Amino acid sequence: MKTKNIKAIARKEFYHLLRDFRSLYLAFAIPLLLILLFGYALSLDVNDIETTVADREKTDLSRDFISRLEASPYFRIVENQDNIKGVIDALDQGRARLAIVIPSGWTADIRADRKSTMQVILDGSDPNFAGISGSYISSFIARYNANLLADFLDRHGMQRINPPVNPQIRVWFNEEMESRNFIIPGIIAIIVIIVAALLTSLVIAREYENGTMETIRSLPIGAGEFLIGKAAPYFLIALTDVLIAVLMGQALFGIVMKASFGLMILSSSLYIIVALTLGLLISSVTKSQMTANQMAILITYLPSLLLSNFVFPVSNMPVVLQAITKIIPATYYIDILSGIYLKNLGFAQLWPDLLVLLTMSSILALLNYLVLRKEGF
Amino acid sequence: MTASADNDKKAIIVERLEKRFGEFTAVAGISFAVSAGEIFGFIGANGSGKSTTIRMLCGLLAPTSGKATVVGYDIMTQTEEIKHSIGYMSQKFSLYEDLTPFENIRFYLGIYSVPEKEWQQRISWVLEMTQLTAEKNRLTGELPPGLRQRLALGCSLLHRPPIIFLDEPTSGVDPLSRRHFWDFIRQLAAEGITVFVTTHYMDEAGNCDRIVMINEGQIVASGSPVEIIRSACPGKPDADLNDAFIELIK
Repeated sequence: MKTKNIKAIARKEFYHLLRDFRSLYLAFAIPLLLILLFGYALSLDVNDIETTVADREKTDLSRDFISRLEASPYFRIVENQDNIKGVIDALDQGRARLAIVIPSGWTADIRADRKSTMQVILDGSDPNFAGISGSYISSFIARYNANLLADFLDRHGMQRINPPVNPQIRVWFNEEMESRNFIIPGIIAIIVIIVAALLTSLVIAREYENGTMETIRSLPIGAGEFLIGKAAPYFLIALTDVLIAVLMGQALFGIVMKASFGLMILSSSLYIIVALTLGLLISSVTKSQMTANQMAILITYLPSLLLSNFVFPVSNMPVVLQAITKIIPATYYIDILSGIYLKNLGFAQLWPDLLVLLTMSSILALLNYLVLRKEGF
Repeated sequence: MTASADNDKKAIIVERLEKRFGEFTAVAGISFAVSAGEIFGFIGANGSGKSTTIRMLCGLLAPTSGKATVVGYDIMTQTEEIKHSIGYMSQKFSLYEDLTPFENIRFYLGIYSVPEKEWQQRISWVLEMTQLTAEKNRLTGELPPGLRQRLALGCSLLHRPPIIFLDEPTSGVDPLSRRHFWDFIRQLAAEGITVFVTTHYMDEAGNCDRIVMINEGQIVASGSPVEIIRSACPGKPDADLNDAFIELIK
C-alpha cells in the first residue's frame, strides 16, 4: 500500500469533483437545503390546529367554551359558522381541519346537569395529524369537564374529591417533545448517504464508461490503493457535511449536542465508511453510471429514509420490514446519534451499534477488494 | 532463469499462450518473440485475439495456459513488476478529459512513483514533446484527437519504460498527425525502446520492423513486411500488405 498512489488518485478524484457542477451541488447545496427543509417545514409537531366553530347557542357558557379553546396554543379558530353547511365547506376546502358544533340546547342541558353532546369533526386525510389533534381535543374537553364537575360539586355543597390516580408525567431525553430534536440525526444520516453513497456510486462506473479503467488496470496500482484514493475526497466532504449539519442544528434550532464530540466524529466516520464502501461496490459491479445511480437510490437512499426509524417508527412495521431495518446502516447510526444528542449516552452504552457499523464496513471493503481483484487489479 | 544468450536480447517471449472464455478460444496457443528495440506490429482484424493478447502481456488478464515473459518478468506471477516496466496506451487514449494535460501528467507521475524532484523536468519534456505547453491549462477534452493521442503517448512514457504497448494508437486521428506519430515512434525505437503496436491500418503496418499477423486466435504469418508480402502473394510484384492480409485470412 503506497501513500503516493493513494494521493495521486485522491487528487485526481478531487479535480473531477471540482469540475462537475452536479456533484458539487449534491455535495454541498443539498445538505444545506435538507436541513432547512426538514428543520423548518417538515416539523412533525402539531400546533395551531385550524379550527372552525359552529355555535348554535351563543350563550355565555358556549362563548366561554370557545374563548378557552382559543386561548389554547394547540387550536386556532379560523372561522365561526352560522350553520352546518359552513362547517362542511370549511372542511371540504381545507380551511379548517377540526370542526366543533355546539348544538342548540347544549347550555340548558349543562345547566340542568343533564348529559350534553358536542360534535367534533376531524379531517382524517392525514391520519397522523388526525390522531394527534383528536387526542388534543379530547384532553381539552376532559379538562373542561373537570371544571364543570368541580362547579357541580360546589353548587351542591359537596366536598371536592381528588382523582384516585394522578399520573405524574415527565418526558425524558427530549423534554420539549420537539420532533426537530429527533429529525436532526435522521437528516445527518440521509445527507451522508447522498454524499458518500450516491455520489461515489458514479466514480468507478465513470472510469469504465470513459475507457480509463483499462489504463488504470495497466498501471501499478493495487485494488486497495485505488479504493482508498477514490473514497478519500468523499470521506472528507461527508465529514464536513456532518459538521455543517451539527452546527446548523445548533445555530438555527438550538439543538445542542450533549455527549462526547469525539464519539460523534468516530461514529460518523464509521457510518461514512459504510456508505462509501456500499457506493463504490455498486459502482464497480454495475459499471454504468445510470444503473449505479438508480441502484444506489434503491438500496441506500430509500431504505435509509423509510426504514431507519427516521420517518416511520420501526415498532409499527410488519415483522418482515422490521427484520430488514436490522441490515440498514442508517438504523444504527440514527440510534447512535439520538443516543448522543438526546440521551447523553457514551461509548459504554453505544458500542454494540458501533460494532455493527464496523463489521458492515469491513465486509463491504473486503467485497470491494475482491471484486476489483477479479477485474484484473 | 535459464535464458539462452539469444533470449537475453528478447523483450517479450511468448510460448503456447492460450486464452479461453468458456467454450470460446480467443487466443489458441500462440508463440512468438519480440527483440529489444524493434518496432513490432501485431496485426489482425477486430475479434482476432490481438487485444486479448496485449491485455495478457500487460498483466491485465491471466492466460488459461502457456507462458510469457515481458522484459524478463513472468506474466503469471510478476504483474506488479511488469506494470512498472511498461507503458500502455489504449485505443481510447484513456485520458481524463475533465482534467488539464498538466493534471493528467501529474497523475501518471504519482502512480509511476517518479521521484518528485524529477517531476518538473518530466512535465516540461512531455509538454514540449507533445507541443502542448501553450495548452497545458485547457481541459483535455477540448483538445483535438491528434494532441490527445500525443499526450496519452507522453503519459505512458513518463517513467521511461523499456517497452511500450500501443493498442490501435492512431484510430480517429488525421493523416498528418498519424505521420508525425510514426516519426516519433521510430525515434523512440532508435533510442532503444521496444514498441509493441497493434493496428488494422495496413499502410501503417509497413512502418514496423517485424509483423505477426493473427486471425481467429492463431498466427497466420510473421516476418518483415516485405517477407510477408512475398510469401503470401508470390508472383505479384506490386502487391502490398493489404493484399497479403486478405490473402492470408481467406
